[in-house]
Amino acid sequence: MLLHLLVLAPFVAAILMVATSKEDPKSSSRLAFLFGVAFFAMSIALVAGGNQATEPMEWFRIPGCRGPVYYYLYSHGLGAWMVFLSCGLSLVALITARNTFEKNYRNFAIGIFALMGAMNGTFLSADAVLFFFFFEAMVIPAAVMIAGYGGKERTKAAMTFAIYTLVGSAPMMVALWYLLTVADNSLLLSFAIALQGLPAETQFVILLCFLLAFLVKTPIFPFHGWQAITYAEAPAPLSAILTGAMSKAGVFGFIAWILPIFPLSMTVVNVMLWLGLATAVYGALLALRATDAKKLLAYSSMGHLGLAVAGVFSLSEAMLPAVLVLLVAHGISAGVQFYLAGVAERMTGTRDITLMGGLAGKNPVFSTLFGFAAIMALAVPGTAGFVGEFTVLLAIWDMGPFPAVVAGFCLILSAAYMLRFVQKVIFGKQAREYEEGKRMTALEGSAFGIMVALLLTFGVHPAFITNSLHLFDEDAIEEMSKLSGQEGEAVEGAPADSLAEQSSDAAEPAEEHRPMTEAEIAQLDSTLAEAGFDESERAALIQQMIAADAAQANESAQANVEATENE
Amino acid sequence: MTNLPLWLIPLFPLVGTVLLGAIAVISSGSKKGPAEGIVGFLAVLFPVLAFASVVLLAWGMPVEGIRLTLCNWIDIPLFKVDIGFLFDGLSRIMLLFVTGIGSLITLYSIGYMHGDRGFARFFAYINLFLFSMIVLVLSDNLLLTFLGWEGVGLCSYLLIGFWNKDLKNCQAANKAFIVNRVGDIGFLLGMLCLVTVGGSEILNYDSLNAFIQMLIAGGHVEIVLPLLSLAGLLFFIGCTGKSAQIPLLTWLPDAMAGPTPVSALIHAATMVTSGVYLLARMGELFSLLPVVLLIITLIGLATAFWAAVAGLFQNDIKKVLAYSTISQLGYMFMAAGVCAFDASIFHVFTHAFFKAALFLGAGAVIHALAGEQDMRKMGGLLRKTPVTACVMIFAFFAIIGFPGFAGFWSKDLILERLYTSGSLGPVFYGIGLLTAVITAVYMSRLIILTFFGSYRGSKESEEHIHEAPASMLIPMVVLSIGAIFAGYFWADSLGMTMFKDSLAPVLGAAQSGVAHMHVNPVIFAGLGTLAALLGMFIALKVYGSSRVPEAKGSSAPEGFKADWTFFFDTIHKFCGIIPVAVLAWIADVVVEKILQAAQWMVGAIAEILGDGAAAFQVRKVRLQLALSVAGVAILVAVVLLTGGSI
Repeated sequence: MLLHLLVLAPFVAAILMVATSKEDPKSSSRLAFLFGVAFFAMSIALVAGGNQATEPMEWFRIPGCRGPVYYYLYSHGLGAWMVFLSCGLSLVALITARNTFEKNYRNFAIGIFALMGAMNGTFLSADAVLFFFFFEAMVIPAAVMIAGYGGKERTKAAMTFAIYTLVGSAPMMVALWYLLTVADNSLLLSFAIALQGLPAETQFVILLCFLLAFLVKTPIFPFHGWQAITYAEAPAPLSAILTGAMSKAGVFGFIAWILPIFPLSMTVVNVMLWLGLATAVYGALLALRATDAKKLLAYSSMGHLGLAVAGVFSLSEAMLPAVLVLLVAHGISAGVQFYLAGVAERMTGTRDITLMGGLAGKNPVFSTLFGFAAIMALAVPGTAGFVGEFTVLLAIWDMGPFPAVVAGFCLILSAAYMLRFVQKVIFGKQAREYEEGKRMTALEGSAFGIMVALLLTFGVHPAFITNSLHLFDEDAIEEMSKLSGQEGEAVEGAPADSLAEQSSDAAEPAEEHRPMTEAEIAQLDSTLAEAGFDESERAALIQQMIAADAAQANESAQANVEATENE
Repeated sequence: MTNLPLWLIPLFPLVGTVLLGAIAVISSGSKKGPAEGIVGFLAVLFPVLAFASVVLLAWGMPVEGIRLTLCNWIDIPLFKVDIGFLFDGLSRIMLLFVTGIGSLITLYSIGYMHGDRGFARFFAYINLFLFSMIVLVLSDNLLLTFLGWEGVGLCSYLLIGFWNKDLKNCQAANKAFIVNRVGDIGFLLGMLCLVTVGGSEILNYDSLNAFIQMLIAGGHVEIVLPLLSLAGLLFFIGCTGKSAQIPLLTWLPDAMAGPTPVSALIHAATMVTSGVYLLARMGELFSLLPVVLLIITLIGLATAFWAAVAGLFQNDIKKVLAYSTISQLGYMFMAAGVCAFDASIFHVFTHAFFKAALFLGAGAVIHALAGEQDMRKMGGLLRKTPVTACVMIFAFFAIIGFPGFAGFWSKDLILERLYTSGSLGPVFYGIGLLTAVITAVYMSRLIILTFFGSYRGSKESEEHIHEAPASMLIPMVVLSIGAIFAGYFWADSLGMTMFKDSLAPVLGAAQSGVAHMHVNPVIFAGLGTLAALLGMFIALKVYGSSRVPEAKGSSAPEGFKADWTFFFDTIHKFCGIIPVAVLAWIADVVVEKILQAAQWMVGAIAEILGDGAAAFQVRKVRLQLALSVAGVAILVAVVLLTGGSI
């Protein structure tokens, strides 16, 4: 129920917002605030509630495909935290937008709710087509809001953003359609199995189609062309959501879709690792030279997410919690920095940091928060950013010291550009007389304060985040394999050696992981037979085992324990 | 025995930080600022409470130390670290002087910062610094030490740039943080390296030592030596950043932009010595790594010599002291490099007293002269500010190693250990002694230029010269007493070895491998005394009688003096800043433009194709209809041919 609410209710809220007055921002902002709080509360409940799933419902069938597309939501630790980010950042955006837009607040709120619903859907979908639907749906409200509320070059920014991201994910749509014609249904497990039957070249092409969509969304060098202009021209509250939550869809895609489905070769892993590191360095270098406050933050986000992607493709055992902490930390800290940059823009009337300065003496409370947020972004120990970056570095160190040194270099650069940013904005003397904009209100200030406090809390006690991770637990795998069982006979009869090949392929990159051998499977089969399972049950169980093995190389040990327990 | 929990020690300054920070933020809107009495009281109260609890704990500490694991910090696959504290002989001594001198300097700051608009903010930072420093020293594992390590760096950044209206201060602060960050990354990678060797448990100091003993017992040292050496080297890079050694020392002279009490507390007495503390804390690891130890000794030696010479060239009184600090830290690293960790910690201890006294004295002089820092405009202050002069002269005797003063005992001990360290020992000793002579020269120069001769400033400024208030004088006097007597905790030739004995349980194992030949301490003491006297004599000859050159323009050194002073700044510029700037330029101007061009090209091609396709868009209904039907037919055909059903 919670899952349905989180995905569908934002759209309902968006429709209800239409009923409020367009002219009077007060009433509409109150309603929006109430909705925002409600969604945020739900997202906390989701994070606290652990893994949960809805009943899969058949959504539609695509002509020519073997199985149906489901409306099937599934929450695991990763998705739940992303939903937390999306709802939390949307709430703060609704609060701070109230002081930014004099009129037409209502339409902005409508856009935010639509975006929130789409993001939640992306992070909670268990069905690939559903995922893709929401993945694309995110772009539309965001682009409309940029075009409606952005800066001087808003039309160009909106066009670039929409076209770049839509074109980037178009190949993925084709790949999905193709996969649907060979797989039983559009769930993760059947995709993974279906891919095994395909020749290596086809697999590679499909992989590229998937990768491109996520590379563009994250964005990873050299597909970042849309990012800086979009974040810079979008209104600050929207930029915060875009970087804090929406860009996470890319990294989320790598973890939740690419890794489980595709048997990755070492070359692909290495290329992705270095692309991530290159992005981290490149973003930091661009941030060193940026003079537009929001572009600087955009490049900084790019750098951090590059590091996260490098962490994902380290495929270390520590990768998942490490990247999750990094993502949550970055989501909150980049979010709060964008909001604060928006307030600074409001107070000084410019985004150019060479024209700012002296805010420390003029507005001490704002500057304290600003400084705090920058320190959080620097990943000083005791903040969530540190836990994330340190553990990601630990994961990258598994791939050799050299990538870790490059990642360390990025941390030095991040200190350089962040301190420059702080110095230019709040220190020194006032560059000129600012035309007085609206100052930071108490509600805004306390919202930012809470975000900073959250970062400190997660920094001292990251277990809040790391404990919630059971990405693919047994229930979900079972549920998915049940569906595959109903739909296709072929899978059950799949030759054993192709399955074995699948597991060894998939497990290749993770060195410490020992793939299941054919002999082991045979042995398992016989022990199960002794335990009194019949033919189809056995096949389903083994298949489940292997899929779990391939999907989550790290958890194979656990899965073995599970299997022995089943005996 | 006392039952005070260990977490109380860091908690006090943390509470102080939160309270004072809240006061600073709340009062920031008002015109007048908070009442200085209350703020000052709170600011001193919490460090003093921390000091009191350290004293209580130190009194009843069992020989093996007190250990306390608070809770888990990070727990993910492959990596698990707890938050825990370790109070033993080493951390006891460090904590005693960190909290003790911290309290004194906080008291001094009340007078020094009087009337500053950021009064409460300043003390919030100072308390935060003490919290971080205490965590650094008290932590029982490397990761928590790293929290303190970056925490003190952050506070140093905040305090150097305290007067943030002046962008010069901000730049100095940025430089300090970034250079330190370079070192910190070394520390971080060092930790990763250790984790590769022995898992995350050996980040804990006790487990690390147990692990090393196991290696030695099993004879497996050879296997992991390359990785351990790498780790040791990386940790040492961290130390060179925090403790301002070659090559990461450029930030410390610039850091003098901060308020003087900050220079005394952070950039002389406590924070900069944390590198030495880390080496001693991981002594057992380092004692296994001969290559790394040699590097440490050489770096320490080079730094001590280079900085001492640079100290000769400075006109700014605080800059002289800054280079002197770097040079003294070089001595400590030399000692650590020959596995004389107890001697290096002893020098940390005595240095904290006399250098803090010197800095506070310099602060009082600057205060008296209304902000003047150029020594060429001082002179003859002995009669005007007698207490300050006495304090500084006592501390001066301590730093040059005049017999009986604190520095005499600790410096001679280091030189003695250097001499007995092996075949290269006499060479190290010779350079160390030469550096001691130079130390005496530049310190005598400072004292002569500041307190003797006649006043060289303007007439009207002479009338305003006044002795500092009591709240500033009391800490100075206490510190100068320390500068005189702190050496008697370990006066080998007098048979007093209290300091050594208290460190023995912690550092004994690390130093057991070093063979100590017995030498006659009197000869070393004699030579050390001779070095100090020689230096004083030279300074008297050179600076005592000759006319001091007219001060014009800035106090920065010029000509070859500048080349020497800014040698490492130049290296940083060419090896660090310029390459990064060039890379950034390439990324921004070249790569970014190429990518944009590519993007536009794709866009343009699409547009051209679109224009072409628009040609079909003619106003002929039949043709449109025919095309639509054909399209549907093709789609159906495709679906059927690929095996789908409609």
